[in-house]
Amino acid sequence: MENFLQAIDTLTIRFALAAVLLPLFAFVINICLPGKSNKAAGWVSTLAVLVSCALSVFVFSRAWNQHQVHQGQLWFTIGNIKLSAGILLNNLSVLMLLLVSLIALPVHIYSTAYMNNDENYKRYFTYLSFFCFSMLALVVVDSLVLFYIFWELVGFSSYLLIGFWFTRPKAILANKKAFIMNRIGDVGLLTAIIIIYVVFRTFDIEQLFGANALVRSTAFQVPGGWQYVACGGIFLAVAAKSAQFPLHTWLPDAMEGPTSVSALIHAATMVAAGVFLLARVYPIFDSQELVVLAVIGCFTAFMAATIALTQNDLKRILAYSTISQLGFMIMAMGIGAYASSLFHLATHAFFKCLLFLVAGIVIHQVQHIKDEYQLDIDPQNILYMGGLRKKMPLTFIACLIGGLALVGLPLTSGYLSKDGILIQSFEWAEGKSWLFKLIPIGALITSWLTAFYVARLIVKVFFGEFRLMQFNPHIKLHISDGAWQYRLTLLFLAICCLFPLFSLHPVLYEHAWVFSGFSRITGLDRVNIYHTIIPAGVNIFSILVIYWAYAVYVRQKALPFPESGLLFKLSYQEWYVDKFYNRFIVMPVMTLSKTAQWIDRNIIDGFIHLLQRTGILLSKIAEWTDRYIVDGLLHLIADLVLGIGNFARNFQGGKVQYYLFSMLAIILAIFLFKILI
Amino acid sequence: MIPLSDFLIVSAGLFCTGLYIILSKHNAIQILIGIELMLNAAVLNLVAFGKFDRLNNGGQLFALFAIVLAAATTAVALAIILNVYKKYKTIDPGKIDELRD
Amino acid sequence: MNILSLLIFTPLLFGLLIILLPSAWRASFKYIALLATLVQLGISIWMYLHFKTGTAYAGVNNEGQFQFVQKLPWINLDLGTLGKMQIDYFIGIDGLSITLVLMSSVVMVIAALACWEIKSNLKGFFSLFLLLNAAVIGVFCALDFFLFYIFYELMLLPLYFLIGMWGGARREYAAIKFFLYTLFGSVFMLLVMIGLYLSVKDPATGNHTFNIVQMMNPANYDANSVFSVLGHQTLLGMPARTVGFVVLFIAFAIKVPVVPLHTWLPDAHVEAPTPVSIILAGILLKIGGYGIIRVCLGIFPEVAASGAFWLGLLGVISILYGALNALAQRDLKRMIAYSSVSHMGFVLLGIASLTAEGISGAVMQMVSHGFLATMLFFLAGVVYNRVHDRDIYNFRGLGTAMPRYTTFVMIAFFASLGLPGFSAFIGEAFSLVGAFESPSVNGALPYWMAVCGSAGILLSAAYFLWTLQRMFFGSLSLKGGDVWKTALVDLNFREIITLLPLALLTLALGVMPSLVFDKINDSVLALVEFTKHIIR
Repeated sequence: MENFLQAIDTLTIRFALAAVLLPLFAFVINICLPGKSNKAAGWVSTLAVLVSCALSVFVFSRAWNQHQVHQGQLWFTIGNIKLSAGILLNNLSVLMLLLVSLIALPVHIYSTAYMNNDENYKRYFTYLSFFCFSMLALVVVDSLVLFYIFWELVGFSSYLLIGFWFTRPKAILANKKAFIMNRIGDVGLLTAIIIIYVVFRTFDIEQLFGANALVRSTAFQVPGGWQYVACGGIFLAVAAKSAQFPLHTWLPDAMEGPTSVSALIHAATMVAAGVFLLARVYPIFDSQELVVLAVIGCFTAFMAATIALTQNDLKRILAYSTISQLGFMIMAMGIGAYASSLFHLATHAFFKCLLFLVAGIVIHQVQHIKDEYQLDIDPQNILYMGGLRKKMPLTFIACLIGGLALVGLPLTSGYLSKDGILIQSFEWAEGKSWLFKLIPIGALITSWLTAFYVARLIVKVFFGEFRLMQFNPHIKLHISDGAWQYRLTLLFLAICCLFPLFSLHPVLYEHAWVFSGFSRITGLDRVNIYHTIIPAGVNIFSILVIYWAYAVYVRQKALPFPESGLLFKLSYQEWYVDKFYNRFIVMPVMTLSKTAQWIDRNIIDGFIHLLQRTGILLSKIAEWTDRYIVDGLLHLIADLVLGIGNFARNFQGGKVQYYLFSMLAIILAIFLFKILI
Repeated sequence: MIPLSDFLIVSAGLFCTGLYIILSKHNAIQILIGIELMLNAAVLNLVAFGKFDRLNNGGQLFALFAIVLAAATTAVALAIILNVYKKYKTIDPGKIDELRD
Repeated sequence: MNILSLLIFTPLLFGLLIILLPSAWRASFKYIALLATLVQLGISIWMYLHFKTGTAYAGVNNEGQFQFVQKLPWINLDLGTLGKMQIDYFIGIDGLSITLVLMSSVVMVIAALACWEIKSNLKGFFSLFLLLNAAVIGVFCALDFFLFYIFYELMLLPLYFLIGMWGGARREYAAIKFFLYTLFGSVFMLLVMIGLYLSVKDPATGNHTFNIVQMMNPANYDANSVFSVLGHQTLLGMPARTVGFVVLFIAFAIKVPVVPLHTWLPDAHVEAPTPVSIILAGILLKIGGYGIIRVCLGIFPEVAASGAFWLGLLGVISILYGALNALAQRDLKRMIAYSSVSHMGFVLLGIASLTAEGISGAVMQMVSHGFLATMLFFLAGVVYNRVHDRDIYNFRGLGTAMPRYTTFVMIAFFASLGLPGFSAFIGEAFSLVGAFESPSVNGALPYWMAVCGSAGILLSAAYFLWTLQRMFFGSLSLKGGDVWKTALVDLNFREIITLLPLALLTLALGVMPSLVFDKINDSVLALVEFTKHIIR
């Protein structure tokens, strides 16, 4: 029996491994394929994702709510540590495995149509497969080192895909920004991982954060404030990847990538990796740190929602809505609603992906009109759109379902997850000081704001008249829902946005299987008053807000915001965060680097040159000394010798009389000498 | 009887005169005359000291011998002077210094 | 014939051949040089494969555990009352050097392939090139300090001429700067070397010896000698061993280079021809790191331990300062040169941690940087050869004009900025692990240093990405207009086969770090154990 179980587990692990590695094979095959727009690339990638999706379903059915499976093998040895690489399958990882492959599949199918006319078709799918590989690997690996590796690889593939159209200046600025902001998070994560390793001497996720979490044991003591540094590092990583304040500004810019990429990476999967990281390392946080998480999440949710109110770029609105929803998830983690957070992550992935794909179709159609009539417009601007519901009915319905799910109206999946978070946040704030109450209230306001901007978006795009035609009456529209790939994916995702996929009960989130899969508290009783009041209040008010938006934008009854108002500007300029960063972070760093360069040129090299000049000066002095003093002495001696020589020479000048005279002198001298002595 | 010292004084005077002529004159013939004076001083000495050798009269004999030799050398010297004059057109020994090393 | 000697002297033989051949055959010289480096590579691969691992082959301070050893008496002078002068031809390798030897051989092949661009005075160039080659390998293998010094100096000479004669516009300035810097270091090294010689006695023969391995054993020092461990002699008012360590460290730090002794590097790199840049960045900098590990740490472990804070500080300063400088450059080669300063800072930080992880990480970083710097300089050389310009601002959108080139540039840049999956990540990460571990294990470094070190990773992303964005992305626009557009052809076959192995190697090391760690692990553990032992 034991052996049999082992064999089953091994099979599960193998299947999971295959599911992860298949996109990698697709990536390698795509690299080797000839031609820039080889259509085979799309099929290779899609097939790979299809198979890994099927494998994921199998793995999920094996591992969900079963014992966790963990197998690894030695990777390398350094010093006395043996690093292993392996796969850890528990509820969290199999859910993510399934989710990622399930979202990736429709996006792949959609992309085969969406990117069909791009000349770099092959490159697109190569990158996309690489992303899928990294993301799938990220969710199943068992060691923090591997986790970091794939964490950064998803960031890298996101970099590649944001800058897919690398001839566009905005796209390459956006991908640089995205990578660098993610790098800030990576540095935080790396620091945290290393601190965790140094204290607990292992990288193994299961040992660290599993059932008998080492991080909770009292045997280890984290020195000084380094517990906070580690948590801060993790938080930075989460904030960077999941676009939380203050590292959120890369995500709206990342919309420069192809829309299908935005749907997969920047809405459904990669940005959720931050929440996934929180879920993985959840035991490391203590209650204070969780409060910080909740505050940041709530603030981000609120801020992003206010920004989304006034944006005119279709994808930017969705991007801010993503940030807002991710804020909800982080906040849920912070208030201890672990299960609801993950539940919201799962539901959000589907409806946000759906909304992005809808946006992609709309933008594609407007782009066609733009290309056809050579118009000078931004195809993503919702001010030019309108009245598309008659031309593209399926898209409209899909968008409506996605939008309602985002708002969180009943019968949708969003209702289940979001209301769960709201209810639990009120429960959490119960009995705490009024400051803590701000968090659930902020969340509540955010969800009404959400209702407004979603309504604004749908109304502007699908209702009223096609405004582009008002400016350019000669345009003839031939817009439709598009290719079968579009229809199929929209249909699939729209179905996934409804409640039956997650819960058989349309209004009670506790019954959702995702929720119960993670729920740590059993037998939650519904005596609390919040469970009735909040869903009712939220939804009634949301519907009112939606109607208001409809009234404002379709019936043109009134302008909601004065465009010159301070609040409008704050929202429209995205709270001036980017400007602040440019002024107070980017500029100083550049100045610092210029200063460093100046120091190098003038101080260090200056010092070297000073040494050089001193050397030259010294050598000049030495030369002078040499010439006039040392040589002078030599010359003096030489002259002296010469003088003596010349003097002596006179004695034998060939003059006989001199000889005689000197002879005489010498004789006399000897004579005198003899006499005197 | 003239004492020996008188001879010697005359001889020394002659010698010094000859020496002075040799050292100071720029004419080879005058120098030759100086040499002759010095030789004669020596001969005078020989003769003066000859009184101590009465048996063989060695002093006188040597004096004669020296006179004869002096005559011969003078002849040779004059010949040399003539030849030098022919070659250098001068007989100032100070100017003829090609033999120096 | 000992295989290690063969490895060292093969290039010399080929160099001699080139000198003897008539100049009319100059077209064949590059093939001869390439053949020499290939033979050398073959030998070092053979050695790598036959390199035995296990605690019995750790080496470091145990003479019997070195491999491929050759020890011949070389200079034996009877100095009468002064004893006997004993200098051996003593070579051998252990885990610390094997990977660096192999890395150097690979880099040499690449450098030989980059020599195609050299057009003038080929005989001189290739003979000097091969001389340099022999000297470099010799440095990694020498275990006798005198021999080490000879190889070390022998390396300078060809480099000076290679930069000064085949370099760019300011080549003389660069060559002299380089020469003076390194000479400054090595002259003082000579003094310490002689001091060590006079302090150490070979226990077997009782003679003074230059043997590095015996210098590591405190018992071999004369009690009253200058560098005696127990003697506590002073020199210029400071402990003599500290002075010795500092002097040796400065000599190697110039090579690494460590801020503020680094300014020769950008000039030398910018002016040097591509193959010489490759050797400079790929191998020479590693000699500095290798010297610090083998000589500074090996001979003066207790000083290294007490001065670890300062070493780490210099490492961190190098990381951050180099990165900031790289951010401000507009010359591609200068940018890469400063990035080298930054990356080599991790090596110093890892060494300063005195932990097995840190030192392994440092060696890994050296090997990895060897390949990556080679790749980067080769790539910079590609664009320079085509249009004779390297100013980042003069190019834009090269991605459309030279897609294959851009692919390799991206691989090299991302590998250098520490993207996981490539070797630099492993090197940097484990250097940092060592630095973080150090406060709790041996207290050599404080925590904040490690945190500052990791900020370097962030800055490296900034300058590489900026360059990518500025130079390779966007729509094509070149300063030289259409002339440049026709000149900038994509990589040719030779360039691709040069770059591809490098890319694959860094990838392989990133995915399977055991290729390096398996070989060095025993030696690193032995070294750490040995330093701990001495400190106690």
